[in-house]
Amino acid sequence: MPVALSKDGPDRLVIEWSDGHRSVYTWRHLRDNCPCAGCREERQKPPDPFRILKPNELVPLAPLRMPPVGRYAYKIVWSDGHDSGIYTLEHLRSLCQCPQCSVRAAYEPET
Amino acid sequence: MQPPGSPPQKIALPNIHNVIAVASGKGGVGKSTVAANLALALARTITPQPSSGKEGIGRVGLLDADIYGPSVPIMMGVRDVVDQRTTPFPLERYGLKLMSMGFLVPPVQAVIWRGPMVHRALVQFLTDINWGPLDYLVIDLPPGTGDAQLTLTQTAPLSGAIIVTTPQDVALIDARKGLEMFRQVRVPVLGIVENMSYFQGEDGTRVHLFGHGGGQKLAAEAGVPFLGEIPIDPRVSECGDQGEPIVHRYPESGVAKAYQALAAMVIEQLRRTDQGPELPEVQL
Ligand SMILES: Nc1ncnc2c1ncn2[C@@H]1O[C@H](COP(=O)(O)OP(=O)(O)O)[C@@H](O)[C@H]1O
Ligand SMILES: [Mg+2]
Ligand SMILES: [Zn+2]
Ligand SMILES: [Zn+2]
Repeated sequence: MPVALSKDGPDRLVIEWSDGHRSVYTWRHLRDNCPCAGCREERQKPPDPFRILKPNELVPLAPLRMPPVGRYAYKIVWSDGHDSGIYTLEHLRSLCQCPQCSVRAAYEPET
Repeated sequence: MQPPGSPPQKIALPNIHNVIAVASGKGGVGKSTVAANLALALARTITPQPSSGKEGIGRVGLLDADIYGPSVPIMMGVRDVVDQRTTPFPLERYGLKLMSMGFLVPPVQAVIWRGPMVHRALVQFLTDINWGPLDYLVIDLPPGTGDAQLTLTQTAPLSGAIIVTTPQDVALIDARKGLEMFRQVRVPVLGIVENMSYFQGEDGTRVHLFGHGGGQKLAAEAGVPFLGEIPIDPRVSECGDQGEPIVHRYPESGVAKAYQALAAMVIEQLRRTDQGPELPEVQL
């Protein structure tokens, strides 16, 4: 269970967990791993080298709000209006970018 | 689903106190039947005197999210596609508020819908429809544990899920997958209900045709509550086909009583999961 969530500067989110773990994330990383159906589908497409960036991809992306969803997840409302991703606690924990978790992730890449 | 940049979709449902998903590992176990009759039993629990004519004051909704095989229209006696200009959604039947993709398009057209469209339709059903204040919204999920189901469980702010199974071994295996899915997304499983558990004779004796205790064992194994057994009764499917669920048509039947007991269990489990810790707020 998360005990506290807070912003760490403009680019990062920090979550303190009840087991003592301290997770850090860049907002970019969270957005890149948005679990909503649309983003998941987008990620499955092969990258298009000639893709033109949409205007909203050029302005820096910021989180506006991060309300809890039930007792199992958070939702992130982004400055570009996107808000359909529901980040479960488990998913948030697995996305952790702290040095310890990053090393582990490097050795067991996600399938 | 929405492309980045389009208007945000809000799925906060401050007017709906409890959102209950009814799920099953596979089709044919009676999931839709359970969803409809449970909704009616919940409504009767809130308003115990349904025969007064003013039955249910519309505090319970039933949302058919089985976009691929909607069965709420037939079970509730809505024979034709509904003209939205003359009949606003949600429809009302037997004191329930109802919404189904089957009210909008004939069933054959619905099957080609893809995941993101299913998601968008559900978001609209939840947010664009004026449900009014509800004590319970029961959602009939599509059968199975694939991506569509996962997306739906991540779209609606679920208070909890009920898994419907039958005593046959195969159904139990699928129910396990359902449990796993809700665990993944951390939606509390309110419990397992076993449908078509036994025949009840005139004298009240129970005959278990397909073995006994499977659902109960599965619940124990998964550490979730066992919510009860619903007997087999040919009147269940008769009522379903005729568009008036058994809890409404034969409220004194053994099946209807089993549903009232199920409703009581569900309310109790909702009360318990409600006491879990709230997630901390985030200041950005
Ligand atoms: N307890 C029961 N006794 C007898 N028939 C039942 C019972 N529960 C469901 N049925 C019947 O079984 C069939 C499948 O039920 P349905 O609710 O459509 O299943 P699902 O939604 O899981 O696919 C229907 O004809 C229904 O009337
Ligand atoms: Mg069904
Ligand atoms: Zn997304
Ligand atoms: Zn970590």
